[in-house]
Amino acid sequence: MTSVSAEGRAGAPTPEVPPVALGPVEPRWRQRLPLLKQVPFIVLLAAFSVLFIYPFLWLVSASLKTRGDVFNNKLIPSTFAFHNYVSIWHAAPFLRWFANSMYITILAAVLVTFASALTAFAFAYFRFPLRNFLFGCVLATMMLPGVVTMIPVYLIWHHVGLSSSQIPLWAPNLFGSAFYIFLQRQFFMGIPRQYFEAARMDGDNYFTMFWRIAVPIARPALIVTFLFEFKAKWNDLMTPLIYLHGYHQYTVPLGLYDLLGVYSPSAGGSGDYELIMAAFVVSTIPLLLIFAFGQRYFVRGITLQGYKG
Amino acid sequence: MSRRWKAIGALAVALVVAAIAVTAAAAHSKSTKSTKFSGTLNIMGFGTNGDDVAKNRFAIAQKAIAPAKVNAPNGGFNEQQFLTDIASKQVPDLVYWDRSYVGTYAAKGALMPLDSCIKSDKIDTSQYRQAALQSVTYNGHIYGIPEFFDVRTLIVDTHVADASGVTGKMLNTANPTVLKQAALKMYQHNGSQVTRIGFDPKLPEFFPLWAKAFGANILSKDGLHPDLNSPQAIAALTYANSLIQAQGGYNAFLAFRNTWDFFGSDNQVDKNQVGAWPMEEWYYNVLASSSPNVTVTAIPFRSKTGDPINYSTGSAWSIPKGAKNVAAACQWMKTMTQASTWETVANIRKAAYAKAGQYWTGLFTANAKADAAINKPTAGEPKKWASIITTVENAEKYSFAIPASPASAQFNTAWTNAVNRVLQGQQTPTQALNQAQKEAVAAIKAATKK
Amino acid sequence: MATAAVATRRPGPGDRARRWASGFRERDTWWAYAFLAPWAFGFLVFTAGAMVWGAIISFTNYSVVAPSHGVGLANYRAIASDPYALLSLKNSFEMTAIYVPFEMGLALLFASMLAKITRFDGFFRTVYYLPVMTPTVAIGGMYLLMFNGPYGLVDQFLGIFHIPEPYWLTDPNWIKPGIAAMLVWQVGGNTVLYLAAIKNVPQQLYEAASIDGASAWRRFKDVTLPMISPTLFFTFVILTVYGLQVFDQIYTAFYNPSNAKISSDTSLMYVIYLFQQAFDYLHMGFASAMAWLLFGIIMVITVFQILFSKRFVYYEGEQR
Repeated sequence: MTSVSAEGRAGAPTPEVPPVALGPVEPRWRQRLPLLKQVPFIVLLAAFSVLFIYPFLWLVSASLKTRGDVFNNKLIPSTFAFHNYVSIWHAAPFLRWFANSMYITILAAVLVTFASALTAFAFAYFRFPLRNFLFGCVLATMMLPGVVTMIPVYLIWHHVGLSSSQIPLWAPNLFGSAFYIFLQRQFFMGIPRQYFEAARMDGDNYFTMFWRIAVPIARPALIVTFLFEFKAKWNDLMTPLIYLHGYHQYTVPLGLYDLLGVYSPSAGGSGDYELIMAAFVVSTIPLLLIFAFGQRYFVRGITLQGYKG
Repeated sequence: MSRRWKAIGALAVALVVAAIAVTAAAAHSKSTKSTKFSGTLNIMGFGTNGDDVAKNRFAIAQKAIAPAKVNAPNGGFNEQQFLTDIASKQVPDLVYWDRSYVGTYAAKGALMPLDSCIKSDKIDTSQYRQAALQSVTYNGHIYGIPEFFDVRTLIVDTHVADASGVTGKMLNTANPTVLKQAALKMYQHNGSQVTRIGFDPKLPEFFPLWAKAFGANILSKDGLHPDLNSPQAIAALTYANSLIQAQGGYNAFLAFRNTWDFFGSDNQVDKNQVGAWPMEEWYYNVLASSSPNVTVTAIPFRSKTGDPINYSTGSAWSIPKGAKNVAAACQWMKTMTQASTWETVANIRKAAYAKAGQYWTGLFTANAKADAAINKPTAGEPKKWASIITTVENAEKYSFAIPASPASAQFNTAWTNAVNRVLQGQQTPTQALNQAQKEAVAAIKAATKK
Repeated sequence: MATAAVATRRPGPGDRARRWASGFRERDTWWAYAFLAPWAFGFLVFTAGAMVWGAIISFTNYSVVAPSHGVGLANYRAIASDPYALLSLKNSFEMTAIYVPFEMGLALLFASMLAKITRFDGFFRTVYYLPVMTPTVAIGGMYLLMFNGPYGLVDQFLGIFHIPEPYWLTDPNWIKPGIAAMLVWQVGGNTVLYLAAIKNVPQQLYEAASIDGASAWRRFKDVTLPMISPTLFFTFVILTVYGLQVFDQIYTAFYNPSNAKISSDTSLMYVIYLFQQAFDYLHMGFASAMAWLLFGIIMVITVFQILFSKRFVYYEGEQR
């Protein structure tokens, strides 16, 4: 995951062949409205964009207010309480939670990316008995509601004595994930077979073929996987609720959930909502960063998702 | 043999005897100490990051069980972790939790009855308040040593009351009609928005208090038979709900309450956003520190018969079955809750408050002996805060608690949901409490079924 | 294409079964299985094995802490007579029924507009997508403040237009629309998806329609909609399944340890009740039965949606 400025095909031997035969890389519809006729749509879209931007501004503003002002909904705080951003690190073990979330999220995303790639490559490249059946299993898993396995998986971890640890948050990613396998398989299938035959002539075995040829060409798909999983794990509340029991184990979502409980004024909590708002802003930053870094991969990933999932 | 040799011999013998005696004595004294407390005491639910009262008591108790070490990770009692611990037979030696848990886990067989501990450590149970003991007693055995003790009185913003022509006499829960009139006098609104709550009955949380005031016992003494839909309970809910409906309705009422700066200097009393409401006694301490100039007073909550009553809850210490360091756990509970410990830490706090110019508003524990000693107004304290301490201390004597029950969580959920349904207008009090009664009976039945 | 090439590359003698079995003697096959091994282990243990175990538990009174035994269908019967289980199922369905059309309609509206413009399109796409990049717990927490009756931002905004101000957190009539609105704030993901689908519609079709003198609305209705119907249908299924299972935001907003005091029957979603039964009360058998019931319901809905779609969805040269 070093640089995304280079196109995904950079490592491929013959770059004139497009690596992905799928997805709307080149839109088929190129009709252009005259600029004047676009104006009403631009105005409407700008009006609607307030719905999506304003809550962010409101959040940042609330995070800079003093305790008495959090509820006043004014866009510009009457006094700027920048110290909220200092206080949150003391009010709770927020740094610890942040570090926990970071390592779990990155570990989980890296693991699922490569485990899924291995599986996807096998389905895309090899012909072998039971292939269609096994791929059917992958597709079936995609449709499976998570709650069906939630309890037995908890019990598995319970029986190996790890149900109060952070391991269940990332360890299942060692085995890949159906949706990513499906997505990456589409990419791998788009790689012309000649590449591999050529590599074989050079004496590559299958693993080095996978590593040297398939992975670099499919890099966009791997990045999409990493980004999607990063977002999913960074947001996850349900799994930490089940497995994490000590403050020192918490991830950011669970910590924030807990703070909301501690501070909620409706429960007679201490009502430090401005600190929670500041913590919300901080917790959003990593996601915004990876979005800035990989926006087009998100767009492409979503688009792929829609292609006959 | 010369005399000289005899003398040397005698001296040698004497020295040896003395040496043996000293080492034996030393060994003996050492062994008695180390056999009493050793190893590590694992505590769940009570960390080292509490306030001064918690920290100082921690230090005292730590000394009492030396040389045993204490392992007390921060963070409150975590029910799910506790269950996991029980399942894997790796229980902590001591848990610190809300008293409502005690009955449930005693019924599950997960707790050690404390009879032998009370006997061996000579814990004087008569010093603890009856209501607190009742909520930790299940099936005739004590399963928890009670610690704090919440006292609920009416907090009155006298500035609001005076300006609205409401006297302390009108704010008497024994006389519902007058109380409602007083509430409406203090209530203010701007269109559909509430701008001041006259009287907040604190529903759903304080439903047990209203029910008791109207003469209902929502759970039998043995904790096995709920009685949530008695005519008295229904009357209590009907009345308390009508207070809210008369003051803008539940939605407007709660949305407004959510905007209060409850713990800050812009709190609802300071901003005159409320006339009066029943509340736990610790809130006086919040007011005294965040806005010491507010005009408040305390009035006891009274039952319909006119007697003061107090709905009490609080924390307790319990020893899980399978705990490894029972001796230290027992000593710890005793030390944490005995009168001398409370007095020591209260004096430290009083001194700190005096230095900071803050007023003493009392420290209310389940230990009646301790309370009698520590809950006196300090010298030079304004009459306002002094009288509050006296009122709260007096209300403490009229306490009741919800008895320990094998399904307390579900029991509480049942009535909380019922009250919410009524507040939101989905059901009448009768319908809601009938349903709650059914749910509570089923939950207790399921919890006692082996 | 690729598969056909592979098949002809290795023509096997004899009947199909022999050829199939001979596959196991190929070195490639074992390489393939080696690549698949991690996934296969995970699938056997954490998916297939877990499902079977979950099904077994659903016929017991398993509770982790106490000894358990089989109870037959008692858990499933208990669901049928548990007012909260039925209520939460109803709540989940109602919320989903509000959420899915709302989400799809808005996404389609935004995508159609975005498809028309060539200036600022990247900017708008980013802005509309931003909420998708907001942590779900933060959304649930912000919801508490922004939807807090007349004191919240939302009602103050509605107040400008003299629209009556709902109590989103406590009024049973407004809790579900409020939750749906919170979920729809993340409409950007589907907008991007629909935008790609619209841009993928062949230009000739529009030209042909224009020659026939079709209005913009007719072009949308007769060309765009049918051409993107596979995507619409796909999201319809996915969003329905998502709506029935959404947990994080609602749990944060309504099921905080403290908010439990104000939470009401109306915000109790099926998955939340399932979670409480499993991990608050350790009624693992009952909760497993609830999970399997949900699984069954989702399967039935999906099959029904697929059958239904056969009549309305146009697949362009459909071939996988």
